[in-house]
Amino acid sequence: MLRRFVLPLVLLVLAYGFWASSEFKEVAAGVALFLFGMMCLEEGFKAFTGGTLEVLLRKSTDRLWKSLAFGIGSTALMQSSTLVSLVTISFVSAEMITLAGGIGIIIGANLGTTTGAWLIAGLGLRIDIGGYAMPMLVFGVIFMLQKSKSLKGVGYLLLGVGFLFLGIHFMKEGFEALQQGFDLSAFAVSGYAGVLLFTLIGMLITVIMQSSHATLLVILTALAAGQVSYENALALAIGANLGSAITTALGGMAANLGGKRLAFAHLGFNLMTAAVGILFINQLAWLVDHVAALIGIAEQDHMLKLALFHTLFNLVGVLLILPVVKQFEQLLMHYVTFTPSGSEKPLYLYPDALDTPSTAVAAVRKEVEHLFDNAWGLLAHGLSLRRSVIDSEDSLSEAVKYTRRIMSLDVDDLYEQKIKSLHSDIVSFIGEAQSRETTQVSSEELYRLRQASRDIVEAIKAMKHLHKNLSRYGMSPNPAIRERYDSMRLVVARLLRELRQLRKAEPEDVTNLSLDALRVSLQKSSRSLMDEIDEMIRHRRFTASVATSIMNDEAYAHDVCQNLIDAAQVLFSSATSNVDDLLSLDEHEIQSMASAVQPDKQPQDQSGESRS
Amino acid sequence: MKTKNLLSRLTRFLDADTKTQQKEIKSIRELLKKLKQKERDLKEKLDKRPDREDADDIRIKLDVIYAQRLKGLDRVKQLKEECKGKDKE
Repeated sequence: MLRRFVLPLVLLVLAYGFWASSEFKEVAAGVALFLFGMMCLEEGFKAFTGGTLEVLLRKSTDRLWKSLAFGIGSTALMQSSTLVSLVTISFVSAEMITLAGGIGIIIGANLGTTTGAWLIAGLGLRIDIGGYAMPMLVFGVIFMLQKSKSLKGVGYLLLGVGFLFLGIHFMKEGFEALQQGFDLSAFAVSGYAGVLLFTLIGMLITVIMQSSHATLLVILTALAAGQVSYENALALAIGANLGSAITTALGGMAANLGGKRLAFAHLGFNLMTAAVGILFINQLAWLVDHVAALIGIAEQDHMLKLALFHTLFNLVGVLLILPVVKQFEQLLMHYVTFTPSGSEKPLYLYPDALDTPSTAVAAVRKEVEHLFDNAWGLLAHGLSLRRSVIDSEDSLSEAVKYTRRIMSLDVDDLYEQKIKSLHSDIVSFIGEAQSRETTQVSSEELYRLRQASRDIVEAIKAMKHLHKNLSRYGMSPNPAIRERYDSMRLVVARLLRELRQLRKAEPEDVTNLSLDALRVSLQKSSRSLMDEIDEMIRHRRFTASVATSIMNDEAYAHDVCQNLIDAAQVLFSSATSNVDDLLSLDEHEIQSMASAVQPDKQPQDQSGESRS
Repeated sequence: MKTKNLLSRLTRFLDADTKTQQKEIKSIRELLKKLKQKERDLKEKLDKRPDREDADDIRIKLDVIYAQRLKGLDRVKQLKEECKGKDKE
């Protein structure tokens, strides 16, 4: 309910912002590019899954010290802990490295990022991040257009980093006016209230600019200009650290469970470090003074002392977390357990149903029926037909013929949400039921139901492939192509209607035997479509490559139907199924009926019943 | 005495088998009746509107029901013959 209002509200606020302020437009575009870059990075890393990069990464992160060194080195090199953290989230999301390895890198990145403060404070260097973005995007697109999977992966990686840089650049540009307007000396507050206030300010600036590096730049400039006191600058640095974790957490929202866990790890670690920094700020300042004197930093060189503080307080955080990394990982695994928002929950699989074999079978049967209903709806939409149309008495051939567009449908996503999760729950429940005391009949019935559940999953997988080409050729201007796809849609749609009617029928209504007619009908349609395709190829109504696509898609449509009928055979079987089996047709009989028209004659009743 | 007991047991066993067969015949006949009713309904649908969109599907259904009923009747005939053979013995 809340979601229904949130999206329009966000769109309205954005629209108003775009209209009211050009800076806001730049900042919003920066955020959008940043998130898009994150998605490109994930895509890019996935291209290398199973390859040498995976082996290299695993080897570099198989020990905590190695992950830590990797984090420090890469962040010092890239000068962006946010980027390293986001890339690490991508690694963990793609399961290329373990969560523990990811935590090591994140901790290392926090330490590596302190080199930035040293560089700015010591050398006054600053990387023009936007300048790097352009060539990366150009090279990225060129690589992405290549056929090789590895080159495509490189292309996505370059695009990802390029978009991240461009996003940060846009955000910085957008906030330039804001940065210039900052007069932090106006907020100078002493004591713990000042520490808390400036930590908050540092955090906010980092969240807005999406870069702790940029925040440190502002702090150092402000410190050099005397706009901010040394004590308050220390608190700002703590806030910048905390803000970078929030930036990563935002990036982690677009990732999967592994990525989310790592984002939480980063947030947890930085919160802990910030808490220690705030609580012991005076002791840390004292330590900085002594270490600075030891390494020859002048007492009045507040910029280098700030860089030293940044390094020391991060080092304290690292030393505190290192001994308990394993426990930290276990804690995250236990508590951070997201399920996709739209993920379908089982309706009938309760632990109590496992008490007896018969209740377990009944629960699984109901759940597989639930899965069947979900699949039915998804398949209807996959054909670009409304469920209500299939469920009605309306003409299906007209509905197919007058379809104006193929519904844009993320079958993969829907499969994950509505089918796979439910199928996994069913399989796991059956496994649990079979591990308990069971009868042979129940065990066989559970086996059949698991097979039915798998058939449903296979039907959806076939629809995934079919839908892809339907989107491409389904509305083709070439009538010969369109008609073939319409035929396929019609075959599946008719089957869906028939199965719906059988599902609603009474159990004793010989439903099991009715499925034989559907099998014959399917075989006939398949043969007829193949004959039509041969005819079209002979008359050169379409190219051989299109013909191949149509043939493949016909096979997918056939798989959808065949799997659904197989699942229905298990789900719709009545109590009299033993006698049903005697009368039902075998594969050979179905094939011979599909290839020949039966003569219209009536059998002579030998048992006293009329065959007319 | 022993032969008499043995014969009595054998008769009971053979009777049980006949009963099972008759039960099966009854089940098949019930199913045949349902199929027959379904066949009538489908024919009625087709007679009312021979040009209906799903006419071909209905014809296939009728052909399949025909084949299923044929199988059922053959099975009934077979069971009846088996019963008769036992009666003669």
